[in-house]
Amino acid sequence: MSEPLLQLQGVSKRYPPTVRAGERMRAFWQLLWRGQAQGGTSVLEDVSFDIIPGESLGIIGSNGAGKSTLLKVITGVLEPTKGQIEKRGSVAALLELGAGFDPEYTGLDNLRMNAAFLGLSRKQVEERLDDILAFADIGDSINEPVKHYSSGMVVRLGFAVVASVRPDLLITDEVLAVGDESFQKKCIRWIEGYLADGGTMMMVSHNMYQVQKLCRHALWIEEGRVARYGDVFDVTQSYLAWHERKHARQDGVAHGRNENAPYRIDSLSLDPADGESTVVAMGGRLDVRLELSAPDDRPPVAVVGIVRADGTPVYGVGTDHDGIEPVEIAPGRYAIDIAFTDLPLLPGGYAARAHALDSEGLRMHDTVEQTFTVTGKTREVGLVRLQHEWRRP
Amino acid sequence: MTREYTSLLGRLTRREIRSRFIGSASGWIWLVLNPLLLLAVYSFVFGVIFQARVPPGLEMPFVAWLAVALWPWLMFSEGVLRGAQTIREHAALISKVAMPREMLVLASVTAVFVLHLVGYAAVILVLAAIGVDLNWLGFPRMLLALATLYVLAVGLALGMSAIQVYVRDLEQALPTVFMFWFFLTPILYAPSLLPPGYAGWLDWNPMTWWMTEIRSALLHDHAVPGWAALALLGGSLAMLWLGRVIFRRLSPYFEDFL
Repeated sequence: MSEPLLQLQGVSKRYPPTVRAGERMRAFWQLLWRGQAQGGTSVLEDVSFDIIPGESLGIIGSNGAGKSTLLKVITGVLEPTKGQIEKRGSVAALLELGAGFDPEYTGLDNLRMNAAFLGLSRKQVEERLDDILAFADIGDSINEPVKHYSSGMVVRLGFAVVASVRPDLLITDEVLAVGDESFQKKCIRWIEGYLADGGTMMMVSHNMYQVQKLCRHALWIEEGRVARYGDVFDVTQSYLAWHERKHARQDGVAHGRNENAPYRIDSLSLDPADGESTVVAMGGRLDVRLELSAPDDRPPVAVVGIVRADGTPVYGVGTDHDGIEPVEIAPGRYAIDIAFTDLPLLPGGYAARAHALDSEGLRMHDTVEQTFTVTGKTREVGLVRLQHEWRRP
Repeated sequence: MTREYTSLLGRLTRREIRSRFIGSASGWIWLVLNPLLLLAVYSFVFGVIFQARVPPGLEMPFVAWLAVALWPWLMFSEGVLRGAQTIREHAALISKVAMPREMLVLASVTAVFVLHLVGYAAVILVLAAIGVDLNWLGFPRMLLALATLYVLAVGLALGMSAIQVYVRDLEQALPTVFMFWFFLTPILYAPSLLPPGYAGWLDWNPMTWWMTEIRSALLHDHAVPGWAALALLGGSLAMLWLGRVIFRRLSPYFEDFL
């Protein structure tokens, strides 16, 4: 195991209160005398992780979760309020569109200036100038002031400069999304080559496909805390599942619960059960146990199905479809088990949903849902894996 | 690391200088023309209107006596005022690019000194051309005084620029303070012209020392620096140290307050 290139230990960041002049003055004196200001809003809480050489880490999270603040703290633009950051090696960051560019100057001037910020000497810049210009590929616009540039051209130039530095650790913050298709491809090819040559990278992106493609590990930040850190597939999938659930909650999909109904569901339990978070590997087995109540001595009809976390139905089947009846376990109480084997669901967040119907299977009386997560390493898209075969014509 | 810093400082300074002339048709000519025009204005106002006199014992037009001290003051005051603005001006850069931030202040002060040095040189050449008797042997001593003035300006600018991020009022107050300071410094007048009770107070103003140092180098035949020069050096280094301490303390949190 080689030495980590970057080490964060318990890094926290609070933004001091800065709106009122009095608060600014108080923070000013505190910083001047004690090197620390009190109060303020917390943006990062106790973030710790290591990056070893050759690693590629994707940082994901909702807007305002603290991703950009984390990158700023790592690059040194911001000082953490608490915690330690240790860097061993050169770091180059592309934090924002046109960061460090002065709109009044030409692209060439800005290129040279930015290269100097990144620590290139005058001689090195002149040596690499042709490569940088070829990579940016913006033609004669290089001699125009940057204020006349489109946002795509700015990113081209910015990335070309950073790429020419070939830092030990490359940090990008959701900037590649601005470039056009061909430039994005070029950047991704460059990053792949850079990683293959042993480069180390951290990137913020909302494009999970890109993260899965380029990164081996992922860090999910939510409200300033590390929500999950580990293998890129595990983290991105639970992140997406979390989003779908959040979306579903907002839409109020979990309707239909009716505890006073004559036919109702007493419990819906999943196996493998693990409290709130049932986790099934793709292609694994999910067992569902349902307990129902009925007002008379006729067994109710149960329908069990699977919906995606946002409420999209995937599959459902009733006891009456298959000619099965729930078993009476006590007077007026029934139970039935169903197993889904070789689960073909693609990784993501799902819910098992059950309905209690009257004995004739005519009217739906009660609905209950229980969420679970499917994990697996795949870049297939959609809900289920369909049987398929590729063939050469 | 040091070489990278000097290269960065060079680039920043050059950009700062160029930014003054960008877009102006005859650019560099103004670098020399402006000081000469200013010199003409002063010689008209003080020579023709006020008919001001140089202190006894010197034989030269008043404007020469004035100009020798005025340009160093311009370097110093403009250097500090511009330097103090730098951090706020470059807020966008500071909040997005990791870089040694004191380089921005240093470049801004350096650019002002370079520009005014060119003007000072032009003014001195014109003065020599119209027959003012300057002590050329005192030049090294004058340059030494200017160097310590530069160190002092950098120190002040570092401290002020950092404080200004937190205390915005400074931006309003500083120009007025410097105007006041200008009149409290014997630039337009000689200390000997003040009523006896007041002249002693001028020594409490460090700028008096610098102006005296520069004038005695160029106008009086004192080519060898004395103890005063050492005091200036010590004072300016102390200011640089203090400015740096303040800047180092406050600079990690600039982004929070910009």
